[in-house]
Amino acid sequence: MLAPRYWGVHLLALVLTAAAVGLGVWQYDAWQSRRAAEAQDLTRVDPVQLDSVIGPDEPFPGNKVGQPVVLSGTWVPDSTVFVSGREHDGREGYWVVTPLAISGPHDPAVPVVRGWVAEPGQAPRAPTGHGELVGWLQPTEGNGEVDSNPRDDVLPQLRTADVIQHVDQDLYGAYVVVADRAAPGNWPVGDAATNDGTSGLVHADLQQLPDVGQFTAVRNLLYAIEWWFFACFALFVWGRWIRDETVGSQEATTETQATSTEGAAGEPAGTAVDGQ
Amino acid sequence: MKKLFNAYRVLALLVGVLLAFCALVAMPLKYLATEGSDLQRFGESASILWVAHGWVFMIYVVVAFFLSRKARWTPGFTIVALAAGLIPLLIFWVEHKVTQRLRAEHPELVTAG
Repeated sequence: MLAPRYWGVHLLALVLTAAAVGLGVWQYDAWQSRRAAEAQDLTRVDPVQLDSVIGPDEPFPGNKVGQPVVLSGTWVPDSTVFVSGREHDGREGYWVVTPLAISGPHDPAVPVVRGWVAEPGQAPRAPTGHGELVGWLQPTEGNGEVDSNPRDDVLPQLRTADVIQHVDQDLYGAYVVVADRAAPGNWPVGDAATNDGTSGLVHADLQQLPDVGQFTAVRNLLYAIEWWFFACFALFVWGRWIRDETVGSQEATTETQATSTEGAAGEPAGTAVDGQ
Repeated sequence: MKKLFNAYRVLALLVGVLLAFCALVAMPLKYLATEGSDLQRFGESASILWVAHGWVFMIYVVVAFFLSRKARWTPGFTIVALAAGLIPLLIFWVEHKVTQRLRAEHPELVTAG
């Protein structure tokens, strides 16, 4: 089977298999990247008023992760906290979080991620007074990590139970990340936002993107499986051909076999049966 | 062995119809009809049938391969039979040809037994 006259067939089988595997991987990647893009798109749907999605005492609506919401309220600058371990461009730093009371100064507040800094000391002063902005709704975190020093303003995660130590009012069961873009329309986003507290800060990345539908880009996944199936099929045909060829050459000792040239012409399928 | 032959014919017909529809109806509508028109949108949503074609073709290839070995087709004819599922309308002719050949050369594959 390793004789030079068989090399063409072996090479062809390997090339076909590799091509099919590669095409499958390409489709699989396309499936993943299209889903990621779709998740990003969902963060650009029309913003809605906060109270139409979640109230102060309501649980987080599971299908609203990443939903852009319009918030209008009063900043609680003294309750600003820093959340550690947040990456931006590969650098580890802190989120700067200031609660926004909806809407009077003593009403329940929503923690607002204003942006990212490398060191808490570099953060600009927290905004005061009225603010109106668009933010992406996120469920509060809770990975069981304990705040190592409850007295300082640095938290390991954005957990309601930790943030509540720093405010005098109730908190919503959600936080928002200030949006730097939104669907076209007259939204308080970017320059149109009122006192959104982002100046002097690097924009924070969304921690949790919306769930995309189960069938988004499912075509690419189905194609990927198909290609991998064809890869297996090519291997199978190759294996059958080798088996037949081995058996055939044992049986036909005197017969000169011209199968190697035949096989190299294309699919090696069924070349050996003539010799049986 | 009649089962394999029957399976081949059904699959060939399915692949042929799906391929003809996708390549000759859905694709032209998707790309040539006016953008956003009803026809264009129909062509676009009908394009999902390419997936169906792909999967039926997958089974077709396996069945056709086994049939080719049973009937001892030459490699050339085997390749044509397998590739026919990718060229619109060719498969109808191939299926006809296969049936003819099998009836003439291997009647035991076509009739029960």
